[in-house]
Amino acid sequence: MKSESIHSIEISSLSKTYKGRKGKAVEALSELSLTIQNGEICGFLGPNGAGKSTTIKILMGLITATSGTATLCGLPVTDPGARKRVGYLPENPSLFDYLTAREYLALCGRAFAMDGESILRESQRVLELLDLREAADRPVRGYSKGMVQRLGLARTLLHDPDVFILDEPMSGLDPVGRALVKDILKDLKSRGKTVFFSTHITADVEVVCDRVAVIVGGRLRSVDVVDELLESGIEGYDIQVKNCAPALYAGLTSSPKASDITEIYVPRDRFNEFLAHLGKNGGDIHLIEPKRKDLEAFFLDILGKG
Amino acid sequence: MKSKVIILGLIFCYVLVVVPFSSYLKNRPVMLKLGYVPAGKVLRAIVGDQRYLTAEIYIVRVLFYFGELFGINRERVAVTPEYFNMYRTLENAVLLDPYNTDAYYFSQAAFTWELGRVREVNSMLKHGMKYRTWDYQLPFFVGFNSAFFLNDYQAAAEYMKRAAELSGNPLFTNLAARYFYEAGKTDFGIAFLETMAKSAHDRKLKRIYEVRIEALRAERFLAGAVDRFEKERGRMPESLRELVTSNLIEKIPLDPYGGRFYLDRSGKVRSTSKFAFRE
Amino acid sequence: MRLFLALTSVTLRGILRDRMLRAILGTVLLLILLVPVFSMFSMRQVQELAITITLSAISFFLLVMSLLLGSSSVWRDIERRYTSSILTLPVSRRAYILGKFSGIAIFIVCCGLFLFLVSVPVIMFAASSYPSDVPVHWLNIALAIGADILKYLLVAALALLFSTISTSFFLPFFATIAVYLAGSASQEVFEYVSGQFGTELQPASVAVIKGVYYILPNFSAFNLKVPAIYGLSHSPGGLALTTLYGVIYVVILLVLAIKIFSRRQLP
Repeated sequence: MKSESIHSIEISSLSKTYKGRKGKAVEALSELSLTIQNGEICGFLGPNGAGKSTTIKILMGLITATSGTATLCGLPVTDPGARKRVGYLPENPSLFDYLTAREYLALCGRAFAMDGESILRESQRVLELLDLREAADRPVRGYSKGMVQRLGLARTLLHDPDVFILDEPMSGLDPVGRALVKDILKDLKSRGKTVFFSTHITADVEVVCDRVAVIVGGRLRSVDVVDELLESGIEGYDIQVKNCAPALYAGLTSSPKASDITEIYVPRDRFNEFLAHLGKNGGDIHLIEPKRKDLEAFFLDILGKG
Repeated sequence: MKSKVIILGLIFCYVLVVVPFSSYLKNRPVMLKLGYVPAGKVLRAIVGDQRYLTAEIYIVRVLFYFGELFGINRERVAVTPEYFNMYRTLENAVLLDPYNTDAYYFSQAAFTWELGRVREVNSMLKHGMKYRTWDYQLPFFVGFNSAFFLNDYQAAAEYMKRAAELSGNPLFTNLAARYFYEAGKTDFGIAFLETMAKSAHDRKLKRIYEVRIEALRAERFLAGAVDRFEKERGRMPESLRELVTSNLIEKIPLDPYGGRFYLDRSGKVRSTSKFAFRE
Repeated sequence: MRLFLALTSVTLRGILRDRMLRAILGTVLLLILLVPVFSMFSMRQVQELAITITLSAISFFLLVMSLLLGSSSVWRDIERRYTSSILTLPVSRRAYILGKFSGIAIFIVCCGLFLFLVSVPVIMFAASSYPSDVPVHWLNIALAIGADILKYLLVAALALLFSTISTSFFLPFFATIAVYLAGSASQEVFEYVSGQFGTELQPASVAVIKGVYYILPNFSAFNLKVPAIYGLSHSPGGLALTTLYGVIYVVILLVLAIKIFSRRQLP
């Protein structure tokens, strides 16, 4: 049904200008172009106020772009039908607080044109999945922040969409909830779903994302494959050696670990040379650990350049 | 594009309906326009603090209605004014706000001759006198009404005296006394109306007085001619036409209320309109 | 259609679960039940007074409801960001506005019918204790309440329109009250200006007043209380015109509300 050339999300030269105080134009988003492939999990990383939410709101039709276009599953975002195969989680979701979770999910089910029976079945499934079964028949008014967040996630899963757009999915969750969300994201990935989620926490990206797009000040700074990024970030290795002559690591940082074990930090460009020396002169390698820049350092680098 | 077509279509429909709609509203029976006013005492309990505003709204409604009536009558469209409903509305308005002068002035101007409810108007005015203790106009009205309509000269003298005291102007006592003994009722009425017309600021009220004066002058003119006829011929004329045929007057004046003057059996000049706007 | 019904029922549930509205409804019910007592104030026309108070209470209640519900509708959903959880579903803004209005409308209609049913025994009781020379005209009473319902649907649509522009309660609430007062008086002003008084005004200001008259919703047309109280007869053509007028006006207001709301940027 869906042709290969249709991407899950396609954003091309999207700009958004707000009218600020005294009629001054504030550019929230400038010429953003980004394509999310089918079956990909893409993190959308940026500091607060970078334009992440603006981008996502344009995708969900809450605000209109000043210029540029965006499509979801090939349909322009101005068409309500574009949201049919999309599961969306707003940032700090605010759900009708006088409805119960079940009533809210039923409303969503109707909007997604599900039939009554599958609404009941799927509601039960997602409520159980997100551990909300006990609270399901109470009004949302009495929920904790984490519960509301989980109900928001339940809504995105209700109609088993192909594309997920999540705005800060981890915020407001306790560690158990975070782990749950990570599991769900991994599960979605294994089932070939497309996920586009914004965050300002780099650790989340490292664990689950295929690619990461970094946005700063309304401009897209970089789009990278996470694994490559992590690989390119290796700066050196911590090597623990046994019975090694001290002359071998003269000039390198070292510290004794145990009576006969020493830990030596070897920069990336001297790694091969060091191993060759070690092989020639004798000595046992106890442990090798790559030392790399993490995403956070990489992210800070990008920010620093700006 | 599509939404523009829808909006244009809707505006078209609206225009199509609003024209007959507003003409239907304009021609609704008057009672529907003036509306029904609940009894003043109940209303007072319900509207609470807002009773002054409510009273004003009722009074303005009556004034608007009456103003519009004058417009219609000018164009010689026959309408029976809803006098009683107007009177009831004002009566309730002064229960809500006994200080509102418009209600008293308008009642005096409109309901004494037309409606013949002199006693009711007087009791309304006396109600107002309890509150508007400084106002000389109210006792002046009551005095006039007592003398002119009710022939109660003792009461009239009392109220005129009070009006004179309040205003510091002896004119009022003179007015009652002089005209009643020297002239007749009609002249007394004209003098009263001329005083009122001079002091009236509202155009509608002025107009009420002016029409009334015109009618009374015509009546006085005809009555004078009848008197002269009687003196010359020693008998009453058969009809008013006889005054014209005997060259005493050129023609019978028009009744500004749209009626026709005639001579009743006792020889008094009267009008078919009874000096009120009627069908 | 199912989506529209779902949106309507969400709005309705929100209204029904609001405690303040229940309190107001309770007060009005109590007032209507006390009508026979109030009616004793009148010596001569107990029945007329009973009908007047009942109709006024119903009318006042519907006015308060339509004002409160209409003017706390759209902007509040935006402020509480309910819109971000509902308009990000495959729900068009048109469906949202229509669902919102129909929820409010169903509530107003049901309240009107319910209060009419309550008022029947009350009026019967008051009328039987002091029979009047005018029989009770139930059809006219029903028509008066029906016209009131239509009038307050118009008020609700007006308030809804203002609330799509607004970011707070004040604009829709006070703007609707202002238009309501102006629209209730416009007929009298229009007739006054059309008469003799108009000739004394500048032609330009007369034209402006007449223009405003045709644009403002004419609320006085929906006041059918007098025929209900005194059993005067209605002209069917006039009733049909009034209904048609009300319906077209509501549709125009809703179309404008949809148009404005579709352009609104949401948080």
